[in-house]
Amino acid sequence: MKIPPVVVAYLQVLPLFLVLLVFLGVPLVLVVVVSFFDYDMFDIVPAFTLRNYDELLRSELTYTLYYNTVKYAVMVWAITLVIGFTVAYFLVFHVRNLLWQIALFLLCTVPFWTSNVIRMISWIPFLGRNGIFNQSLMLLGVTDQPLEFLLFSDFAVVIAYVHLFTLFMIVPIFNAMARIDPAIIEAAVDGGASRLQILTTIVIPLSKTGIALGSIFVLALTMGDFFVVKIMSGGQSANVVLAMSNEIAMLQYPPAAASAVGLLVVVSLMVAAILRVVDVRRELAG
Amino acid sequence: MTRSGEIQLQRVTKRFDPTVAVEGIDLTIPDGSYCCLLGPSGCGKTTILRMIAGHEEPTDGRIRIGRDDVTGLPPVRRGTAMMFQSYALFPHMTVVDNVAYNLRMRGVGKAERRRQARAMLARVHLDAFAERVPAQLSGGQQQRVALARALITNPRVLLLDEPLSALDEFLRLQMRGELKRLQRELGITFIHVTHTQLEAIALADLVVVMDQGRIEQAGSAHAIYNEPQSAYVARFMGGQNVLSGKVTTVADGQATLLSSEGDRFALPFQGTADFAGTLVHCAVRRDRIKLKKVAAAGRSGQVNALAGEVYAIEYQGSYVKVTLDVPGWPDFVANVPDDRFFAMPVDIGDAVLARWLAKDVRMLEADLGRASEAAGEIGLYKQELGLAQA
Amino acid sequence: MRQRSGRRPWTFYALAAFFTLFVLFLYGPMSAIYILSFQGPSGGLTFPMNGVSLNWFYALFEQQRTGDFAGSFGRSITLAICVLVLTVTISIMAGLAFRRRFFGAGLIFYLAIASLIMPGLLVSLGIGLMFQFLGIRPNWYTSALGAHLTWTLPFGLLIMFAVFSRFNRAYEEAARDLGASNWQILWTVVLPILFPGIIAVALFGFTLSYDEFPRTMVTVGPRNTLPLEIWVMTTNVTSPALFALGTVTTAVSFLVIALALGSIALIQRRRTRQIIREAGRAA
Repeated sequence: MKIPPVVVAYLQVLPLFLVLLVFLGVPLVLVVVVSFFDYDMFDIVPAFTLRNYDELLRSELTYTLYYNTVKYAVMVWAITLVIGFTVAYFLVFHVRNLLWQIALFLLCTVPFWTSNVIRMISWIPFLGRNGIFNQSLMLLGVTDQPLEFLLFSDFAVVIAYVHLFTLFMIVPIFNAMARIDPAIIEAAVDGGASRLQILTTIVIPLSKTGIALGSIFVLALTMGDFFVVKIMSGGQSANVVLAMSNEIAMLQYPPAAASAVGLLVVVSLMVAAILRVVDVRRELAG
Repeated sequence: MTRSGEIQLQRVTKRFDPTVAVEGIDLTIPDGSYCCLLGPSGCGKTTILRMIAGHEEPTDGRIRIGRDDVTGLPPVRRGTAMMFQSYALFPHMTVVDNVAYNLRMRGVGKAERRRQARAMLARVHLDAFAERVPAQLSGGQQQRVALARALITNPRVLLLDEPLSALDEFLRLQMRGELKRLQRELGITFIHVTHTQLEAIALADLVVVMDQGRIEQAGSAHAIYNEPQSAYVARFMGGQNVLSGKVTTVADGQATLLSSEGDRFALPFQGTADFAGTLVHCAVRRDRIKLKKVAAAGRSGQVNALAGEVYAIEYQGSYVKVTLDVPGWPDFVANVPDDRFFAMPVDIGDAVLARWLAKDVRMLEADLGRASEAAGEIGLYKQELGLAQA
Repeated sequence: MRQRSGRRPWTFYALAAFFTLFVLFLYGPMSAIYILSFQGPSGGLTFPMNGVSLNWFYALFEQQRTGDFAGSFGRSITLAICVLVLTVTISIMAGLAFRRRFFGAGLIFYLAIASLIMPGLLVSLGIGLMFQFLGIRPNWYTSALGAHLTWTLPFGLLIMFAVFSRFNRAYEEAARDLGASNWQILWTVVLPILFPGIIAVALFGFTLSYDEFPRTMVTVGPRNTLPLEIWVMTTNVTSPALFALGTVTTAVSFLVIALALGSIALIQRRRTRQIIREAGRAA
């Protein structure tokens, strides 16, 4: 008995579908539902109320949190874009030997395989008052007082995010650039374009999908993170997800859920806006 | 399953909605013959090959191999083996494991199947490369491995999908000879898809010329080249100039045609005077045309002669291809033998007169039928001309 | 612009310098941790180094008030291996499925991408709620496992997409022509050729799970995985034991990567060794 190929395909995709449905779809629906629940000191009360959204939208804190979240996200995005693009450009267009290209690429990705938390806290002894960076600066005679702003500040937060997430910008851009037919570049050189012109008229437009993809990753990851902000700002700053984690710790699930829904809406809007500009599907589908 | 490799296609049609790849194909390929499917890209030749192989199923019609109706059977049960255009050698296996693959699928033990595979590799002179991987072989060597891998299945029909396209010219000519010898030696049916005319007539016992999903003409290489039945085949094979005109007179087994340009052609003709006024297409072999320099361009005024200007000259070794710019007849070419050309050379821009004999002109019957379709008198004409049922 | 030979333009040196700085930026801070993990017994959390010792490594292996490392380490490894196996299997199957067009393919694809983008804590919260409503206790081998899969499967799927798109289907047809059944084609031709991609998926599956943190927070149940233990430590950083932990956990990650790359290299080497052996025999 021959099974029609379509049915085989459905069977093959079933495990993926089930996992995503059970561990993503259903939980998401639950979060939305719970965001409309009420709560008291001890428990959540299943009743329909807009209380959580009301509190959310009325609170000044909310806007501060969102401001911080977006502020960090945009700063990190801008920096990782510049660094990621430059590194990818270097690897694709200036490294001639394929083996070197792969080796250097791997060199960049290896830190990714280690724990995010460890990588983040590794900045503390580095940037601290007695840390390596300050000590080297004083040794070189650049300053005689340790720089205080390096740690437990916005600067530290952004640095840590850049450290963690630049790779997510490098990989898609690298991929997109590597796909550019070298013959196109040669044709441009033939046609008299300078290197700068080739960069702006050919490389950047053809890497658009990679840039978009990397941007989506970086923005989503930055906006969805909380532990970097908590540690690296020394408790002086907070973002949406951090507030959410506090509420969860206090078992106040409904307002946490409302926060989550709000954040999800914002992130989705940003992603949709990027997808408007660039069609990423082709890039993802190989 | 008999060992006969005779192939019969009965009213085979293949649709890839909404396009029709092939339509209503009837074809018989004799057992043990070398058959070439010839045509431009998209004509349907590869589709037919894949349907015979079993990698595609016809939308309509039936396919027989030997006496067996194989429509719907998987490739392995048909007694066919296919050699892919890209060779498709498994990159992760050595050459000997590639060749032994079919035996492995049939459950033959490791030592025995490797022994048989090596024997097959020896036949194609590649046993020294048995432990290599395909990436380490040249194009020609990869092709021979693909051949060995297909032949080890002991097929009654071998299907080759543009086997020589990926090779450079020199290798191509070499492999051509080897393929022909191999087919003779094995005695099985070979079906070879190609878009190169000279390759097809060099190799095939049966040439099948296709266009847009239909068979234009099927016959021996000699018949296809010398006696094309339609303007399409005549033009595609490249050895003929296609001319046309309306019949003016018919006498003594000859007809005279008058073209819209005012040129007159005479050719052997079996019909009667009733044909006066009919549009007839004919073909004259390019190597049967003589050129003569003339003082000035102008109408020739003679029968079976055209005046024009030399447009291009291509030296081809044993002959020179002279393309003429003749009003009303695009692509008019004379293939002049090299000694004759260099005895009396012509140059680009020269005014020349091209002449040929009536006996070297052939009527293209299939187009006669098509041209008269509107008149609704085809059957009658064909009967009168003594043509077999097409 | 990409010259094959000849003198390099000044931009090469500028970009190379930039790249070097970037690599230093990536690896620099971590090296501080590695060095500090060898801090002397009376040393503090920052420089200067107060002697060199393995003190803090030993401290790790004693179960103390600072945390249960051996236990959480074991749980993390076990969980990571389960996630690896599941991710590889599910990703391969899904990759095969997506070669055809079928109804709902787009939906599932976007669901997977959404899973990648969604804040980890949100997923964690949702799963936690789901288990609470179902009355099941969350546990590291149930709810956390599911949470990890939502993180690893999109990566696995994307890798499989990239790998399959470069796969020439003529190999499958040739195998079928030579008599292989669908299962045989998969096992003897498709999977071996895709092997490097499968290793990549396995690598992602293991390390993403091993390092995973936000999604695990609410779903892990009563016993922590290693990243959570680390997290607990960071919130009350008291001793360089944390750095020792960082060094150990990084060493494990590096080991896994080395294994993965090594296995690919081994396959390649085995083929060339055959050739050399053959050549030697023929000589």
